[in-house]
Amino acid sequence: MAQAFTKAMARNIFYGGTAFFFLLFLALTFQTHSVVPERDNHEAINDTVALGKKVWEENDCIGCHTLLGEGAYFAPELGNVYKRFGSTDAIKAFIKSRPVNGVPGRRSMPQFNLSDEELEAVAQFLKYVSGVKTNRNWPPTPQG
Amino acid sequence: MEKPRWPPGDLVIWIFILAELLAFGIFFAAYAFTRANHVELFNTYQLTLDRNAALINTVALITSSYFVVRAVASIRQDDSRRCFHWLLAALAMGTLFLLVKSAEYHHHFSQGINLSTNTFYMFYLSLTFFHFLHVILGMVILLAVALKARRGCYSAAEHTGVETGASYWHMVDLVWMILFPLVYVMR
Amino acid sequence: MKYQSQKVAKLYFIAAIGLFVGQILFGLIIGAQYIWGDFLFPTLPFNQARAVHTNLLIVWLIFGFMGAAYYLVPEEAETDLVMPWLAKLMFWIFLAAGAATIVGYIVMPFADLAKLTQNDLFPTMGREFLEQPTITKLGIVVVALAFLANIGFTILKGRKTVINLVLLMGLTGLAVFFLFAFFNPTNIVWDKYYWWWVVHLWVEGVWELILGSILAFILIKTTGVDREVIEKWLYVIIAMTLITGIVGTGHHYYWIGTPEFWQWWGSIFSALEPIPFFMMTVFAFNMVNKRRRNHPNKAAVLWALGTAVMAFLGAGVWGFLHTLAPVNYYTHGTQITAAHGHMAFYGAYVMINLAIISYAMPLLRGREAANSNKSQVLEMWSFWLMTISIVFITLFLTAAGILQVYLQRFSDNPLPFMVVQSKIELFYVLRELTGLVFLAGLIVYVASFFVGSREPEATVEGEVVAAS
Repeated sequence: MAQAFTKAMARNIFYGGTAFFFLLFLALTFQTHSVVPERDNHEAINDTVALGKKVWEENDCIGCHTLLGEGAYFAPELGNVYKRFGSTDAIKAFIKSRPVNGVPGRRSMPQFNLSDEELEAVAQFLKYVSGVKTNRNWPPTPQG
Repeated sequence: MEKPRWPPGDLVIWIFILAELLAFGIFFAAYAFTRANHVELFNTYQLTLDRNAALINTVALITSSYFVVRAVASIRQDDSRRCFHWLLAALAMGTLFLLVKSAEYHHHFSQGINLSTNTFYMFYLSLTFFHFLHVILGMVILLAVALKARRGCYSAAEHTGVETGASYWHMVDLVWMILFPLVYVMR
Repeated sequence: MKYQSQKVAKLYFIAAIGLFVGQILFGLIIGAQYIWGDFLFPTLPFNQARAVHTNLLIVWLIFGFMGAAYYLVPEEAETDLVMPWLAKLMFWIFLAAGAATIVGYIVMPFADLAKLTQNDLFPTMGREFLEQPTITKLGIVVVALAFLANIGFTILKGRKTVINLVLLMGLTGLAVFFLFAFFNPTNIVWDKYYWWWVVHLWVEGVWELILGSILAFILIKTTGVDREVIEKWLYVIIAMTLITGIVGTGHHYYWIGTPEFWQWWGSIFSALEPIPFFMMTVFAFNMVNKRRRNHPNKAAVLWALGTAVMAFLGAGVWGFLHTLAPVNYYTHGTQITAAHGHMAFYGAYVMINLAIISYAMPLLRGREAANSNKSQVLEMWSFWLMTISIVFITLFLTAAGILQVYLQRFSDNPLPFMVVQSKIELFYVLRELTGLVFLAGLIVYVASFFVGSREPEATVEGEVVAAS
């Protein structure tokens, strides 16, 4: 058949299309960079928050919780936990009070034995995250 | 003589044209839907657009499409040289479109407008920029076809490439024909 | 098997299957923890076991991809691997590094692992799917570079087929985008933004190139359809994949502090993401229908068709279900996401690996074309057991997710997370039971390698009416 649906044609569309949409993606990323500083609560970032993020990561909190909807779905959303609990003290008290051997038959957060500095830091980190302006104020309810 | 094939050009390009129209179609539908909920906002900010510039661009694209039609007609008469010239003319019109549109963007950006300014500008910038990129892509395709035409790669018997490029360019033109009234004119 | 150096693939495939078994066992553990919250607590908390489950998945899939590459690249290039010794060496390094990391997850709390691996020097660990200590990540980069060099030079030396080029592009992309795993700013918005450049651009981008090329290879081999036709399809499919998938990344940028325009861009392009998967289904069935011969390895053809269908269902349909921003507003980060993740990974990436293993293993073990009938029957049983199980796991998790969304986010009086979890426990029980069936399927699968190995090869019944 004379129909010239050739492999070369398909190849060109692949390369052309990929380049085209990758550039478009970069343009949108560039645009994102210009707007995010108005919404990301970066003013709140300091050494304590940075340490808090490290504590958060080194204890793999994301392995049970979600943070702004991303993570595991085994434990509550923490992107708004500062708002739900009302204060950093309440967050610290909760983390501190976890029983070493858990709660019989129920899910329980491990006792991480954090130092006072680490506790404060992780609470400040969660407070900082709660200040990020998300679209439509996601999560939908205080319950996450 | 072989009877003309349908659709003209390469089948694959038609699949992609349909996919492109689908993407634009969803975007237009989203625009219409959102506008219905924010008529005031859309009407207010629509006035900040430069309708004259858009009109010039509409004429530029229609003219370029006409030139592309002439290019196809030329190659069907085995006239590679003329085909090449018509394609260059179409490319010139495309360039005019890009220049005018860039001036419009420059105006908006200098006022600090971006995708997050409000819903209207989000749509206006997204739709026109996505289309803008398509004009660039269409011009790259036309340029490739034009250069091949100059080298004498096409003939009256075999000019699928020219038809393919032309079909894509008409799609780009067609999308603008919907975009222009929808975004600039409709109130 | 035409080239001696293809043999190295066997090691990779065996490791992949072994790690797959581990992944499923840990899946059952965390599935049980969803029901009995104190199961194995505090010895093995959920987060550690989950990291094992997800990381084993990623590692075994990559082992499988590498095995597939070592098998098919020499055959396509029509030349031996340039450095078979390097492939063997890297196998042991990768396996040792992977095993050490997994053992680390199991035997000690994360904080201790972080200290042990000097996370302070360059903190990258503890983000979802990228939990690995920095040193492991560096090891992965070394292994990936050696691997790419090996197959890259082999491809350059030999015949350059489209399948080889697409596979190489996919694997290179895999390595390149992994580099974003080293970018870990304190600013949570940018952390998340570029984290997706690893996760999304892997599974909804470059991995699909790998998937497509392996599928194309199997179809060429088992159907005898003209290479030109198959390669053309391959290009069109991967073109659609990247055209929709790259900007489709935007469906992860709805609620993480990124601007609102992503809701439109993300919704529109990710809504188109099922198209390439649909094309893949049409492609696979079309090629099998147009086959020029019947291949005696029916199990391999079954896996190939299965992956085309299940990838469309899991990645395409279940992805579309919650990809539009107004829907995702409610479903983001619930069991709906888990449901989609399970079926998409199984359908797209587990099954393509099992397909290439099914095709190549008999040849690597000295058969002419296929295993004995007995072995194949068992393998096909495992196909149905695992596939039907994953469908039901997905359905149960979807049901759990819908209830969760309603109770926790949609109703007039949203209930706390843990209250909701106890209300939807029934579905976790059903999921766990189905998981046991999946395990049974997996045991049957492993058994199929040991059964009927002394019996004669399966042969083709009847010739095909050649469609040409």
